[in-house]
Amino acid sequence: MKCNECLNLLGAYLDGEANERQADQVRAHLTTCAQCENQFEALTAENEIYTRYDREIQISPAIWNRIAARINAEDRQIERGSKFSLAEWVSGLFAMPSLRFAMPTVALIAIALVVGLAYWRTRPLPTKPDTTAKVNNVAPPTSGKEPQVTNPEIERPTPLDQAPASAPIVASNSKRPRINTSRSTDQSDVLPDVAFTDIEDRDTASHLEQAQNLLLSFRSIKYSDTDEEVDVSYERVESRRLLNENVVLRRDAEMTGKFPAKTMLGSLEPFLIDIANLPDKAKPSDVRQITDRVQKTEIVAELRGY
Amino acid sequence: MKRLAQELSLEGQPGAFAGSLMNSSADLVARACQGEQEAFRLIFERYSRPIISFIYDLVGDRELAEDLTQETFVRAHRGLKALREEAKLSTWLFGIAKNVARESLRSRTRQQQRVELDDAAVLDLSDRGPAPVDQLLDRELNGVIRRSLAALDDDKRMVFTLKILHQCSYEEIAEITGFSIPKLKTDLHRARVEMRRRIGPYVRV
Repeated sequence: MKCNECLNLLGAYLDGEANERQADQVRAHLTTCAQCENQFEALTAENEIYTRYDREIQISPAIWNRIAARINAEDRQIERGSKFSLAEWVSGLFAMPSLRFAMPTVALIAIALVVGLAYWRTRPLPTKPDTTAKVNNVAPPTSGKEPQVTNPEIERPTPLDQAPASAPIVASNSKRPRINTSRSTDQSDVLPDVAFTDIEDRDTASHLEQAQNLLLSFRSIKYSDTDEEVDVSYERVESRRLLNENVVLRRDAEMTGKFPAKTMLGSLEPFLIDIANLPDKAKPSDVRQITDRVQKTEIVAELRGY
Repeated sequence: MKRLAQELSLEGQPGAFAGSLMNSSADLVARACQGEQEAFRLIFERYSRPIISFIYDLVGDRELAEDLTQETFVRAHRGLKALREEAKLSTWLFGIAKNVARESLRSRTRQQQRVELDDAAVLDLSDRGPAPVDQLLDRELNGVIRRSLAALDDDKRMVFTLKILHQCSYEEIAEITGFSIPKLKTDLHRARVEMRRRIGPYVRV
């Protein structure tokens, strides 16, 4: 065995952790090597020093007394938890209610109320009986006023025909009025819902409202004649969607004999076709042609009056 | 060496009856589990000295060591039923004591520990009456060992304390600390070197 191997094993040998073979080798080496023997004696002397280490600690009886007190208290608590006490149960009935779960309970009730209210507001309305519709259909028109679109999502643009003649056409379409593309869930915002007696009529009304918004939006696109192109991508996509819908609704109206609806949808369709067939970046002349036709045919007013 | 032997054996422990079959560790544990408090008191008397010494070696504060010893035995009583039959009671208790001491050490800053240790060492040397030279040397040596232990990092101090001051085997140390044998061997070797540097002047070869 070499000295460095022996020195590495000296600690384990002294601790009694070296195996039998290692211990034999160390013992054999120590008898022949004075240097390693000195190291071994130094380590033994060190260990001897540690055995003299006196912490001067006394075990006070108070330690056990405190332990016993805590153990007894814990045992009593366990016993109390496991035993059913009639007196405690009765007194519990008349005790002040604990407020520990008060906040979570209030929060749960609040959530339930909010969810319930939201459901109540958005629940599908039942089909109105025909009698109601009849009664309301014979009601006098409201002083000839057009039904108002009160959807807050729509920032209604100033129609060109109502704008001052001197108003310049600026080359900006960034402030395009926002259109609510989703179908309105509450048709009373669009037209008095008493005017519709079934789901198809509701679909038609919603469709016409969206078409009206599309035409208003299209008519309000701001551009100048010097622009090379006008961005109509949004209107084009919306028009394609409405066109598909329009075809289906028009056929349905024709088959069910609802001729006013069929006529209205038929009048609308060419505008949807024209807008749907525009490129995303349309020529100003093409846009102007369509807006002129919208204005001339008063299709928007017709849609409002439907 | 004799003192250490006393700490780890039943010899001289009040209430403990060495060699009595009725008071083997396994028997005491079984009786304590059945709610016999006297059996648990005997366990306390048998192991309180090595446990409080071990905790003191780790935290370096007598009062704190007493409190943590109390906590160790209360926890041991709570978990006695979970003690596996094959587990050695002393190793299990040392493991609980190690956890309790570590939790306490974590909550104190290292600076605070050093101040307390230094103060204790000064008190040891100054607040007692005249003593023979050997006694003074022993007290000084106690202070040096205490401060040297405190200067070790937590892992090295724990391994060194268990091996050198409490004569635990590597396997027992591994079980108590959760360290691997190679890690604890390395820590022990380094701790020995660091301790040797500090206590070297007191070693007489």
